[in-house]
Amino acid sequence: MDRALRRRLDGRFSDVLTGPIRQRHDETEMRIGPADVAQVMRALHDEPEFRFKFLADLCGVDTGRVMQVVYHVGSDTSPDWIRVIADGLPRDDPRVPSVTFLWKGAEWQEREAYDMFGIIFEGNRDLRRIYMPPDYTSFPLRKDFFLADDASRSPAMGVRHLEQVHAPRNAAPDDVVRQATSS
Amino acid sequence: MTTAQHPGSHASADDPRVTLDEQIGVFEPIPPYPPRTEREAEFYTLGDGEMFINIGPQHPSTHGVLRVVLKIRGEQVVDLDPVLGYLHRGVEKLCENADYHQAICYTDPLEYVSSLFMEWAPVIAFEKLLDVQVPRRAEYIRVLTGELNRVMSHIMFVGWMALDLGGLTPILWGFIERDEIVEMLAGVTGQRMLFNYYRIGGVNGDLNHDFMSRLGRWMSHATSQLEAELALLNENEIFVRRMRGLGVVDSETALRMCLSGPNLRATGVPFDVRRAHPYSVYPELDFDVVTRAEGDCLARYLLRMDEIRQSIRIIDQCLHEMPDGPVIAKLPRLLRPRPGRAYAAVEGPRGQYATYAISDGTDQPFRMRIHDPSFVNLQTVGLVMPGNLVADTMAVMASLDPIMGGVDK
Repeated sequence: MDRALRRRLDGRFSDVLTGPIRQRHDETEMRIGPADVAQVMRALHDEPEFRFKFLADLCGVDTGRVMQVVYHVGSDTSPDWIRVIADGLPRDDPRVPSVTFLWKGAEWQEREAYDMFGIIFEGNRDLRRIYMPPDYTSFPLRKDFFLADDASRSPAMGVRHLEQVHAPRNAAPDDVVRQATSS
Repeated sequence: MTTAQHPGSHASADDPRVTLDEQIGVFEPIPPYPPRTEREAEFYTLGDGEMFINIGPQHPSTHGVLRVVLKIRGEQVVDLDPVLGYLHRGVEKLCENADYHQAICYTDPLEYVSSLFMEWAPVIAFEKLLDVQVPRRAEYIRVLTGELNRVMSHIMFVGWMALDLGGLTPILWGFIERDEIVEMLAGVTGQRMLFNYYRIGGVNGDLNHDFMSRLGRWMSHATSQLEAELALLNENEIFVRRMRGLGVVDSETALRMCLSGPNLRATGVPFDVRRAHPYSVYPELDFDVVTRAEGDCLARYLLRMDEIRQSIRIIDQCLHEMPDGPVIAKLPRLLRPRPGRAYAAVEGPRGQYATYAISDGTDQPFRMRIHDPSFVNLQTVGLVMPGNLVADTMAVMASLDPIMGGVDK
């Protein structure tokens, strides 16, 4: 746990943080709104006191109520991983700025998040499906998409069309999800 | 009564009247739908004197089921578009529907060459969620078996790489060493390739006599034998001339392309997860983070050879410093971690293997993200290939060492 990093982040990003910075093991977690992603990632990448040049991972998360995009970045200035959570993307139209202007290698990871969750990364010039066939219409890692043996419980037989919005039925109860994803 | 041939009926596959261009299963390089993105439109528009050539999805040198559409002008590659998804099994979804112990064995087949690393990352992530203290002997066993797996994976890399360049001997020689390691790991894990050996809180079973005697025998001649085998390529002028200066990536580009592992270190960036974000007992072990400045195919190859030497050094230290004690922490059969999030990364033979796990307090992970280095590294082919020869595509791809099982998840 890098306490100094926490202080630095608190000082630098106090205006964009939407929750307290949390630290556990070797991870420092900060939570921001989707509109601030480009600005925050650019600051983490470029500013000499951070130099988080290594994008370790980019992934989407469906909490059942909202979508998140989670970035893990590493640096030689700190022994901690920083986890940046872009929180509160609406499930029916999740949009977030792309980070391909900093890391070209994020392109496929963003394509994967689009393919699996339907998250639109604005600014990614190659946002098409990467794993599923091009005529596929649903997003398999969303919480309202069930496995084949669970399909009878699915509101749309395991298939959810882009424009069709409904609450997930087998997602964990709201209070549990809130604990897991926002506390 | 005669039945008229229905005009709309499909001719069967063995009908001799079927002409060649109607045959199913022929890959048209140009997709039969309008371009979905700016980049796709740009790629699938042919310029003057350009043509498409389709490699794969089943091609001996794509290391799995990968399809690459090349846009070429004469012998030169203009652009290329890798098409993935032929091996996609939705492992992340499967893991979300399995409990914590079951999720680990889903991750094994993703990396069928270095599966211990693929299970190491989720195991550490779950241990972080549960706040488990792993016994020290278990940590040493993990490092020991992991480094053996790294040696085995790098030996396979040498073989494949030479094979893609037209040399058959190194893979046959490499398999001698690889089989010895595989057999000794099978002695302790019970499996030859998909080990499924690491457990939450430790490992499944202590080292046994079979393993130790095989390992001792192998260690006594490993260094000299490996050096002899590597000399086959290191001193081969055709090989060295072919690889030098091919597929150059500089350090700035490598970070921009999110490269990790040997591919990143071959460009001069000394980033190794074992040192940068230490896990297990690596802080206590003595080894060097090898780097090379050139960033070409030869540097990536030579760097992996240096890593084999470092791995043997680590194995040697593990054998000398291995403490006694239990090999697994006492944990309940059904694990219900407190709600929370954990990220764990390990340094594998291909780069950073990582898992981001979210627990919601139930016995199944709420979300389990599996990060595979092959997936990220493979993108670099599209960056370095334009301007090179068609025949070098597979050489560059082999030097990045992707495993399609991991790329497609």
